[in-house]
Amino acid sequence: MLEHIRVLDLTDERGLLCGRLLADVGADVVQVEPLDGSTARSAPPTARGGAGPSMFWETFAANKRGVALDLDSEEGLATVRELARRADIVVTSLPASWLRRRGLDPDTLRAAHPHLVYAVISAFGWSGPKADYADCDLVVWAAGGPLDPHRDEERPPLRISVPQAFLHASADAAAGALIAVLARATTARGQVVDVSAQASLGTATLARVLAHAVGDARPEWHRQPAAGGDQSGSGAATPNRLKKWRCRDGMVELHLSMGPASGEFTNRLFAWLRAEGAVGERVAAWDWKTLPQRITDGEITDADLDEARAAVRAHLATLTKSQVLEAAMKHRLLCMAIFDMGDIADSPHLDERGYWARVDIDGAEVRIPGAIARVSGDGQPGVRRRAPRLGEHTAEVLTDWLAATEVET
Amino acid sequence: MTGPLADLKVLDLSWVVAGPLIGRALADFGARVVRVESSRRIETARLMQPFHAGRAGPENSALYGNCNAGKLGMTVDLKTEEGRGVVRDLARWADVVVESFSPGQMARWGLDYAELSRDNPSLVMLSTSIAGQSGPWSALAGYGNVGASLSGFQNLVGWEDRPPTGPFGPYTDYVGPRLALVALLAAIENRRHTGKGRHIDVAQVEAGIFFLSPQVAHYGVDGTIARRRGNRDELYAPHGVYPCLPDGGAERFVAVAARDDAEWTRLAEAMDRTDLAERADLRTADRRRAHADFLDEQIARWTSGLRAEDVEKRLQAVGVPAHRSASSADFAADEQLAHRGHLVRLPHPLHGGTTVEGPRYLLSDTPGQVARPAPTLGQDNEFVLREILGYPAERIARLVEDGVLV
Repeated sequence: MLEHIRVLDLTDERGLLCGRLLADVGADVVQVEPLDGSTARSAPPTARGGAGPSMFWETFAANKRGVALDLDSEEGLATVRELARRADIVVTSLPASWLRRRGLDPDTLRAAHPHLVYAVISAFGWSGPKADYADCDLVVWAAGGPLDPHRDEERPPLRISVPQAFLHASADAAAGALIAVLARATTARGQVVDVSAQASLGTATLARVLAHAVGDARPEWHRQPAAGGDQSGSGAATPNRLKKWRCRDGMVELHLSMGPASGEFTNRLFAWLRAEGAVGERVAAWDWKTLPQRITDGEITDADLDEARAAVRAHLATLTKSQVLEAAMKHRLLCMAIFDMGDIADSPHLDERGYWARVDIDGAEVRIPGAIARVSGDGQPGVRRRAPRLGEHTAEVLTDWLAATEVET
Repeated sequence: MTGPLADLKVLDLSWVVAGPLIGRALADFGARVVRVESSRRIETARLMQPFHAGRAGPENSALYGNCNAGKLGMTVDLKTEEGRGVVRDLARWADVVVESFSPGQMARWGLDYAELSRDNPSLVMLSTSIAGQSGPWSALAGYGNVGASLSGFQNLVGWEDRPPTGPFGPYTDYVGPRLALVALLAAIENRRHTGKGRHIDVAQVEAGIFFLSPQVAHYGVDGTIARRRGNRDELYAPHGVYPCLPDGGAERFVAVAARDDAEWTRLAEAMDRTDLAERADLRTADRRRAHADFLDEQIARWTSGLRAEDVEKRLQAVGVPAHRSASSADFAADEQLAHRGHLVRLPHPLHGGTTVEGPRYLLSDTPGQVARPAPTLGQDNEFVLREILGYPAERIARLVEDGVLV
């Protein structure tokens, strides 16, 4: 869809995804690297215990062409500036000081080329009191809000085990750059798009970061398991150990919700167990919508609830993850197999929807996520080429981008 | 209307988080967005915390407020033919329609893309759902933990010695709208040149997996299955979240990491632990990873006697990555976010004032702005029907009388 847009990509691992997304929707994206290669080429995870290539690079640099230049020489920098003149969008996640020393910062480049949309991705923002803070994924995660409320009982707050913070920021930078491209249609000028990973993460907290500002006196609602029954249906306030169950080949997420809002889900669960002969009549006859009151009245005891849980536990233990998924769809249950990377690779659903791209990684054909969306007509986002080898397209891009300069100006 | 998207007209039929965040971003940059919902079935986000003054109620949710600021708000009962007629008229007016009903629902109402694009061939419609509009899982419904489970995130959060805990909240709801927006803006830019409309199908599960692309490829290359590892990192050590002095009865924590050997030395010195800084068996990251438990204990012992913000300031002063684990009060007081104008205070008809997050990216020449708070139920029914659709007064009165605008 964006075949008419050129992107000059000066990112490291913190911003690598931005150009990948723009390339997926059709833009011609050129990744610039120093002669010894981008640091993103060693970003974890790396295959074969470190002996193989970076999987981060191979996936998030896919769809780009690669140019390697001496970024410490005037000649190399002149080439970058010349490429910038031919670009619509420049995107970077390199430090401001590094860019300024080389005359590649937004002010310098845009003074020469006012049409440029220049997106800068950083941990905290291009300017401000924390602009020079030392950063990493965990520190940004802590600053942006998703870390603090996320605890497993008494232990410290938990992050997601693989880096995520800068992916949110990189996706935001792609959207922000496209809004600036749309603005250019009326203003005929580019502009700077300043993206802060910290600010991007606010939306990854379900608005919890606003609790204090709007005067919610229980802003830490997610921190400690609520006493008594959790009736929200989402299971958010239920201790984790009561929501996880073993099945034959892994784990299942299932919260026995009760109360008027979502007790019906649990009624359906026990109707299914009854049909399978997996629960006694007495327990199967309960209406989980009215159960909280019956528990309060002492009609239903802890021992009764244990009996119900035991029936669920015993039945789930006989099923595989894919059988649990089938049952959830068939009986409309809030019960979900917890997938790992192997399950995802085997999913018939993703296969059928044409989700995968096949690219060469380390000499083998490997499937990587390839469709950020399915689009009707001729604009299907996807992957047209594997990640570039170092300097693979230097000559080609210089010819492509620079040859027509004289004619066009 | 001003802003780079001032001539863009958007009909927003989506609800909860993943859909509404898309229209919210368009509204920030000047698009006219009409959000349609119904009080017959209160939209889930209106029932979700945080609430103004902590009081639950359909007009009190700051989550709803954050996802819908800047939009015009209508209530229409889509179960009535007249209600669907209003939506059809809005879809004829719109450049963009966003919807997040269960796949198949729009077609049952006669509001699917084939139908809506007949009168409006350059319409761009975006449908967002858990698993997409097609394929064996398209019937899946449920809370966000479904998206988190099927995209692999549920399994990737937690302590190694305990069951997985999953991410905070419906994680794919935070990823889906970001990727959707890129596809949607590309379609809008493309239409400027070609006049072409399109239907865009976004699946939250697929968006979530996209953010795990490296882990997917890793499995494909050598069979490695990514595992949860608490707060440990693949490269950096130390790397963790440590307890600090409690603050007003609340437990406080700080995140600390050393990205290279020099940072480790400076961290140890800041802790007054030259003994650690000098130890040969802690000199490289490989060796420190082998002693991760020991290092975590030593750091926790040090941070326990300090305030989280003091640890952050001391370590940042020597260039070591550290930040307090921010509470919502910290977020509201954060000087960096304040510098960016990230939290925006708006007058509100019911609460006097409200706070929303501002646009997530700062555009230097055409900055986004939040024109007004999210609509109260049915707030703009009259305005939209009269000014946008040009309905005569008696037709509007009849719709009100027939109970269509609820």
